[in-house]
Formats: sequence, structure tokens, C-alpha cells
Amino acid sequence: MSGLLEIQRLSKSFDTTKVINDFSMEVVEGTVCCLVGPNGAGKTTTMDLITGRIKPTSGKIIFANEDITAKHEHLIARAGIGRKFQVPAVLRDMSVRQNLEVAYSRQTNPFRNLLKFHKPGLTAKLDEVATLAGLTGRLKERAGILSHGETQWLEIGMVLMQEPRLLLMDEPIAGMTESEIEKTARIFKDLRKSATLLVVEHDMGFVREIADVVVVMHMGSLLAQGSIQEIEADLRVRDVYLGEQEVA
Amino acid sequence: MGNLYHNKIAQWVVYVAFFAALAIIPNMVGDSFLLNQFATYCVYGMLALSISLCWGFGGILNLGQGIAFGLGAYGMAMTMQMQSQTESNPIPPFMLNNSLDYLPLLWQPFQSTLLGLILAVTVPTLFCAAFGGIMFRARVSGPFFAIMTLAMLSAFYTIILDRQAYTGGVNGLTPPSAFQFAGVEVDPYSPTAYWVVLFFLTGATFLAKLITQSSFGLVTQAIRDDSERVRFLGYSVAGYETVIYTISGLIAAVAGCCWVMLVQYVSPAQMDVGFSLSIVIWAAIGGRHSLLGSILGALIIQGAQSYLGDTFLATWLLILGGFFIVVVRFLPNGLASLLEVALGLLARPDPTSSPAPDGGRPLPAE
Amino acid sequence: MDLGSLLNALILGVSIASIWLIAALGLTIIYGTAGVINMAHGELIMLGAYSSYMLQFYLGLPYLLCLPASFVVVALVGLALERGLIRYLYSRPLDTLLATYGVSLVLMQGVRLIFGSDPKYLAVPEIFQSNVMLGSVSVSAFRIVVLLVTVLLVLALWLLFYKTRFGVQVRAVMQNKEMAAAFGINSGRIYMLTFALGAGLAGVAGALFGVLAIVLPTMGASYVVQAFLMVVVGGGSLAGSVVASGVTGEMQSVFAFFTNDTLARFIIFVLIVAFLRFRPQGLFAQSGARR
Repeated sequence: MSGLLEIQRLSKSFDTTKVINDFSMEVVEGTVCCLVGPNGAGKTTTMDLITGRIKPTSGKIIFANEDITAKHEHLIARAGIGRKFQVPAVLRDMSVRQNLEVAYSRQTNPFRNLLKFHKPGLTAKLDEVATLAGLTGRLKERAGILSHGETQWLEIGMVLMQEPRLLLMDEPIAGMTESEIEKTARIFKDLRKSATLLVVEHDMGFVREIADVVVVMHMGSLLAQGSIQEIEADLRVRDVYLGEQEVA
Repeated sequence: MGNLYHNKIAQWVVYVAFFAALAIIPNMVGDSFLLNQFATYCVYGMLALSISLCWGFGGILNLGQGIAFGLGAYGMAMTMQMQSQTESNPIPPFMLNNSLDYLPLLWQPFQSTLLGLILAVTVPTLFCAAFGGIMFRARVSGPFFAIMTLAMLSAFYTIILDRQAYTGGVNGLTPPSAFQFAGVEVDPYSPTAYWVVLFFLTGATFLAKLITQSSFGLVTQAIRDDSERVRFLGYSVAGYETVIYTISGLIAAVAGCCWVMLVQYVSPAQMDVGFSLSIVIWAAIGGRHSLLGSILGALIIQGAQSYLGDTFLATWLLILGGFFIVVVRFLPNGLASLLEVALGLLARPDPTSSPAPDGGRPLPAE
Repeated sequence: MDLGSLLNALILGVSIASIWLIAALGLTIIYGTAGVINMAHGELIMLGAYSSYMLQFYLGLPYLLCLPASFVVVALVGLALERGLIRYLYSRPLDTLLATYGVSLVLMQGVRLIFGSDPKYLAVPEIFQSNVMLGSVSVSAFRIVVLLVTVLLVLALWLLFYKTRFGVQVRAVMQNKEMAAAFGINSGRIYMLTFALGAGLAGVAGALFGVLAIVLPTMGASYVVQAFLMVVVGGGSLAGSVVASGVTGEMQSVFAFFTNDTLARFIIFVLIVAFLRFRPQGLFAQSGARR
């Protein structure tokens, strides 16, 4: 089984500081992969590199056997990578429904969209996602007034509306309550049937719950990779990461 | 019951009623000079509409709308000028005065009325597509783009001023006779001219309204809200920005043609920085998020300006400037947002649940 | 081609550059520090010219004293403007642009109502009205005065921003407002003072331009776009504006030598747009500079 996403010897320097240093990893289709590591390990930078927000100094990113390294953000998104940002990024001045509608981006051509007043399949998809995200009763609200947990859910919902093959989730449960976290874990495991997930998360309890594979980053490099049991048994990981904070 | 202001059917009803009311003005106004004035206000309305589309909905502040307007106007003026030249006398008098004894290549296509009209509209539109495409692709946005449009506008202003033999320089062009189309003369003081202009204003407004309600419009509003986020949803932000900027330019170019048809005159003053900024003021005071609000802003402000006349011009501009400051500071969505708040209060009589005028920002559907 | 006349053009270019620079100085300070796009800058220049005119006409102040006096008068206007309006709009750059345009309308029309639309003239000492020879070129003595004042102001600003406590505070606020606040720097006060300073500099420019050209309510409008482009091309820093004005001033003079003034301006506008397309951060982007 080959990887849906392959990162090959990726490096990124800002001025003279190497933020990502010869980092390689692979995400297998239909799995949940968790990317963990102490603050400053380069997790969010890796997300930025995958989605084209910044360009690597060297190395390659292959998605579905296609080199996406030098592509623009919107082309990478169209190729099938959806992203939820660390600081939830929703369209705050628009309604929850409009947020989800914009994210339903099967047709991205501006000229075609000029003539489109009705998106086929939108209603069904929107109902499904809104129900899943628990936002059915909030569709008419302005996204800017949602609570932090709801905003997280709205952004996850937007990523789902995109129907991507690979979902990048940057700290999806930050600010969520215990029961919301449980629900998120359940849904993520469900999503695995139709999509692939790469999740950046600090909460080791959550990681243990959902991860098929755990990748540990440290100082911009790969430190360890394996199942959660293997990672928790790894002494080097304990030294640099788990030692710093109590395992939840 | 929701806010009537956001009700799409109510919006369309108001639009239809508004344009129906404008259409019967010639039946009530006997004074042909006044009618001509009303028609020019409609041209200003078209300009405000184009800014509302680009700035209000697309979030692109364009301080150089005079480029598209001016190029359109010059194209039309050149067409009309050539209509009054004959085989035996093919060179416009101002060229002869500038010791140009042949018709320059730039002017030759305008010998054909149809070709002239096509050029008057396509040249500014293509310019917007090219300029916008280059800028938006480089991710120039916000105040920065606004300054670039100012620089570009100043560039056009100076070149037209400089190439006197081709453009008439500071005097501009004054085609001696009214516009003729398919053998019919369109008297600028006739109801026909008024209806022609109103037809374009109505067409542009309904086109703009449809655009804002299309999927394209939704994406455009999303870009205004957070362009970075929209990019990661798979949309080419530069593509959308270029298209909305170009459509806005197209409307301004048509407005330019209408304007010259009405006043038989164009000069670099139409490409002056002050004029382009006043278009922005009309839209801002009327309410840039509302197409109709912007048009009304133009009609009211320009109407009041001519009504008060030259004696009070300085006082009027002083008040206008002051009012503009107040709108920017306290009422970013213009007078239209007052109506929105009022209708919102009607919809929800309970004052505790209604949004505060300042805090409750409207949904951008209008 | 006549090398001598080209040399003349180059010398004239220095003078043009100094005019462009002094028009842009105040704007540089305001834009560079607070990121405010002050469209009323041209009208502040106009106010500088009118305050010199009033001081001269009613109080009989000698011209050279009008320069610092105009600085004070217009700085006070700027201070009032900042306290009354600008400070509410720091987080909304597009709105500051629009609101300050409103201010420019108010100032222009207000002055027109008070002084009328007929031109006023500033009297200068006899000695400035003569021409002096610079090498082979004859330049009006007053242009030398403009150049000298510009040089002095640039030096003073450099000292202020790089050698004083105030300068350190300004740069701290520019880089990180929150951090600066943590060190007890009141960013609101810094913005207020820089705005007043920038306005004052416009006042000095106005006192000079009132002699170069006639004093009219509309005189400011012709400077603002040009001054803005200098600031943006320079990247909002003092050095940037100096270099940008220097280069464009020379280009203006040389292009005008080959063609004419208006066409030269057109070429420069187009070149600036092209330049900013490829380097939107300007010549010298400052760390933490905002756009």
C-alpha cells in the first residue's frame, strides 16, 4: 500500500534558521495519522508546506502520485486537500449556511459560477454536514458570534463540505468540552472510511483514541513513527516530548 | 418573521418599483434641460453601482474608476467626433490646430460608428482585465491596490493631457453634433436619450444584482471577508477579484459612453483624482453593500449639488466632506444600513434581541 | 547629444527631488509609524502655505520665521485631527484613507470659504528672488533654500528617530505595539506625536511651496498622489523616501530633458506601478512594517 501523501526530505529555512530539516513521512490512504511534537517542532509549518502557503527550501511533497510541491494553494486544495487551521478561520461576516455553501467547492471556475444560482447536491450535503457538526439550528447565525467550540465545528464542517481526499486538522479539539471531544473522536474514526486524516494534536488522550499511526516531530525532523503503543514505549520520545508534559 | 431588508423577493420588488418610477420621469418633466440633468444623474448612478459591486461586494477599493469611465468617454467622443467629419474633411479641427495634417492610426477605427462603440467599451474592459489580473495575481490588495489605482489614474490623466494632438489635451473633445445611431440622431435633451441611459442603468443594476446572488457573488463576498481562507477552499482568489473588477470597469465604460452622449464633451477632468474619489463617496454615503443604496447616494448627492448651484458649491462640498467623515467613522455601511436597522426593529419588536446599530453587522446578502 | 545640458538636467533633478522629498517627509513619518494613509496630507501642505500667508500678512512675520511657525500651526491641526478622528481608525486602514479624504475636502472648502478662490502670494527676501549659478546651470536661489531645508529636516528626523529616546519608543511601537506596551510605552501617545510631527512637516513644505507656486485652496491636491508614491516606493522608511525621491526626481528631470515634463510624469507613474508590482514592500521594507 503506497502513501496518499508522501513528504520526501523536506526542508524549510527562514533566513538562517532551519525550521524543517530533512523531514520525511507518509500518510496511508484510509488511516488517521497524528502528527505530534513539542511546541516549535514544526508541525504547523509542515501543514503550511503541504497546503502551499509557504514553499519549501528543498524536498518534495507528493499527493496521490502527483508532485504538488510548487503549486498554488487553490490548486492544492482542488487536488483534494482540505485544511482546518490552528486558529479557526471561518468567514466571520457570513452566515453559517453561507460558510458551508462557499466551502462546497466542486465548481471553482469564476465564469461558470457567474451563471450558477443553484448548486446540485448542495442541500443534501449541507444537511448532512450541519447535522454532523451539530449546527443545524445555527445556520442563519453570523459565524462571528459562534462560541469557540462551534467555530471549530464550523471549520471542520467546511473542510467536510470540500469533500477532500485528505483532511488536515490543525488542533481540532482546542477549546472543546469533554463531550465535544468524544464526539469529534467518534466522527474522525468514521471519516476514515471515506477519507484520510492528518491530525496535529497536543492532547495525547485524543491521539490515543483516534490514531492509526503517530508521527513524532522534534526540531523540524522526524523523531519516531509507529503505533501509539510503540511511540509511548519509545525512550527518545519520552525524553524530548512526553517527559515535558504529563501523559493525559 | 425575518428582516424584510434581507428578503430577496422584497429586494426585487423594490428594484422593479424604483426603475419603474425612474422610467416615467420624462412623462412628468417637461423641461428638456432638466431631463438631460436627470439622465446624467443616472450615469453617476451607474458609476456608483460599479463601485458598489467592486468595493461593497468584492472588497476591492478602486480609487481609479475614472480610468474605465474616462476611456469609455473618450472612445465615445472620438466616435461622435468622426461622425461629423466628412470624406472631404476627414480631420477633426483640433488636430489641424495642432498641425496634424493626417488622421492618426489611433483614430482611424472610429470612422466606423459600430467599431468605435465596440472599442469604447472593450478597451477599458480589457485594460481592467489586464491591470487587475497583474495586480491581483501578485496579491496586491487593500489600501495598496487603492494606491496603485490612483497611480494608474494619474498616469492616464497626464498622458491624455500631454498628447494634445491626439486627445485635445486639456480642452478635451467637443463633438459638434449629437450622436447618430443607425441613421437616427439621439438628441441628448430628448426623452429617448434619457431612456437609453436608464435602460443601461437598469440593465447594469439587474446584472449586478444577479451576480451578487450567484455562486460567484457568494465566493466574492467570502473573499472580501477572508481571502486567505477562500484560497484554501480551492478558489483562485486572483481570478475572482479580476472578474469582479473587470465587470465593474465594464459598467463604468458604458457609463462613460452614455455621459458623452448626453453632454457632448469629455476632458481630462473626467480622469481627475477628485472625480474618482467622489464616486467612492456616493457609494459610501448611500451604502456600499447595497447596489440600490449606492445608486441613490449618487442621485441624491449630485442632485443636491446641482440644485444648490455654484454659489453654495464650497459650502455644500464642506458639508459633504464632513458628512462623509461621519459615515466612515460611525456608519460604515452608509444610509442603507439605517433602513436595514429600522426594518430589523420592525421584524423583531423586542429591543433586547435586536442588534445594536454598530455591533450587529449585517449579513452580506444585502 | 549635449552633455552639458544633460548635466544641467541632473542638477535640476536634485532640486526636483528635494521638492518631492519634502512633500513626502511628513507622510513618511505617519505612514511608516502608524500605517495611516493620510489623504489630507496635501491639504495640510496647503494649510502650511496659508498660515505663512496669514502670519506674514497680519503679523508681518519675516519669511524665514514663517517656516517654523507654520510647522507649529499645522502640527496643532494635525494633533486635533489625530485626537478627534484618526485614533479611532487605526485598525481600519481603508477607512482612514477614506476619512482623511473627507478631511481634505473639509479643509479645502473651509479655506476656500474663508479666503476665497483667488491666489495669494508669499513675499520672500530679495536675496531669494535672484538666480545663482550652480556650475553651468542657473538655478533660482529659492530652490537652493528648499534643498537646504530638506537636508536639514532629514538630518533632524534621522537624529530624532535614531538618536533619541523618543525614536527608540517609536521604533518599538512600530515593531510590536503589545510588546512596547509591556515596556510601558504608551503607543497612543506615540501615534499622536508622530501624526502631529508629520503634519508639522507638511506645514513647512507648504510654507516653501507657497513661494514656488501660488497659494490656492486647491494647491494641495497636486502633491498628495505623488508624495504617496514616494512613500510607498520607499517602503515607509526615511531612507526609503530619500532614495525614492532622489531617483524619481532625477528621472523626472532627465526624461523631461528628452521629452517634456508631462510625458516624463507619465513614464514615472507607469514605472512606479511596474516597480510596485514586483516589489510591493517598497525599496526598504522595515521589519514589522505594515501595509
